[in-house]
Amino acid sequence: MAKEKKSEHERRILIVDDDADYLATIGDSFRALSEGRWQMCAAASAEAALKILQTEAIELVVADINMPGQDGIQFIGELHRRHPQIKKVVMTALASEEKNAASRAAGANLFLEKPVSPEGLKSVFEKLCELIDWKNTQGFQGVLRSVGLPDLLQMECVGKNSSILELFHEHPLGRIYIDQGQITHAVCGEIFGERAFQKLFTITGGTFELLDFEVPPERTISRPWEVLLAEALRQREQLAQRAQAGKKILTDDETAAAPAGQTAEMLISSGAGEVLYHWQCADAAARVTLLQAVAQRAEKLIPELQLGKLDRVEMQLPVGRAVLQPRADRLVFVRVAAPTEKNES
Amino acid sequence: MLACGVRQPNGKCLGYGDDKIYPAEKIEKLLKQFSELHEPLAAAEFSPRWTTWAFEYGHIRFVPRADKWLLLLIVSPETEAALELDRVANDFLPPTK
Repeated sequence: MAKEKKSEHERRILIVDDDADYLATIGDSFRALSEGRWQMCAAASAEAALKILQTEAIELVVADINMPGQDGIQFIGELHRRHPQIKKVVMTALASEEKNAASRAAGANLFLEKPVSPEGLKSVFEKLCELIDWKNTQGFQGVLRSVGLPDLLQMECVGKNSSILELFHEHPLGRIYIDQGQITHAVCGEIFGERAFQKLFTITGGTFELLDFEVPPERTISRPWEVLLAEALRQREQLAQRAQAGKKILTDDETAAAPAGQTAEMLISSGAGEVLYHWQCADAAARVTLLQAVAQRAEKLIPELQLGKLDRVEMQLPVGRAVLQPRADRLVFVRVAAPTEKNES
Repeated sequence: MLACGVRQPNGKCLGYGDDKIYPAEKIEKLLKQFSELHEPLAAAEFSPRWTTWAFEYGHIRFVPRADKWLLLLIVSPETEAALELDRVANDFLPPTK
């Protein structure tokens, strides 16, 4: 662990990563970028980080995912239970929307890809600065490329705040209403409800502003924010993949005509099989048994395959698809009811 | 593409590994192991057309056919080969009515 003398306006930041070179580089870089205002602490494992947190007034923790012992997402989950006030960031070299969703479910405020250039490092630093300075004040403005819409939504929902998130891109685009931590209404042009929410989520540039809460004209959204956020992130990833593959991106009308591809069921259990959350899951016990069977069988294969840890199993079903995430501390099952590739050219 | 393999209904296997890590015997073994991994999924009412096992450094696509032919493809994530998995799997499966 590296620790420095405390000064007046300092912020204490803890970086958790098993790569000693990376710890040294990121520590030096953040110290320089903050002009000495950030006092950097470092830990090579989750266990070492928890010890530091017992004695140091840390404001922000940035953790890698792949570490020996407790992994970064498990660590963030434990940190969130023990120190909910500390801001938490997961930063990984192998980013994916699944890891993003798992990190957020564990309590991370931000999910970032490890920077590989000086510009990337500066960009990460700026995002961390915004997160540290984030307070529950009205009139907050941000740029979607920096602290992103998912991050802000999560902060509002986890904090059980009430606010209106207004999005602009030259002109006002739409609003998302958050009432005591639940998303209750969204409007985007003439579209309302979940479709408006999903559409607003596809915006990759622009700005947003948090406004004082007002009761929406109607309640058009009732599903839990965690489900909406996970679904929106998946849809955004699919759009990005389609764009990357040169495939046709559906217009609004086509999207309306096509099956919505919405989550049909979802289950999250502890590693021991205790159901923590499920939604529209007709037989939760059967899903847990399936997840455990897959996890056990895959575990035996992992050393032989030499392909690293198993992240997820995706199933293409006759109608729709399903994703299983068998982790040591958490088992996740999500099934999407309708085929999302129907209009593929 | 790191490796690929096909198992015929009579149990004979054809495998090709683009890496010394995946000799033909290993691909044959993997076909058997993934066939076993697939069992609980197939038994759980889903009847998946295929499964993709996404590991940190490689994705494994397993495609079973009703006539007992099996296809296994191993690719590195975020490569051109990874983008072709759906097309190859669809080509392997009989056309749907």
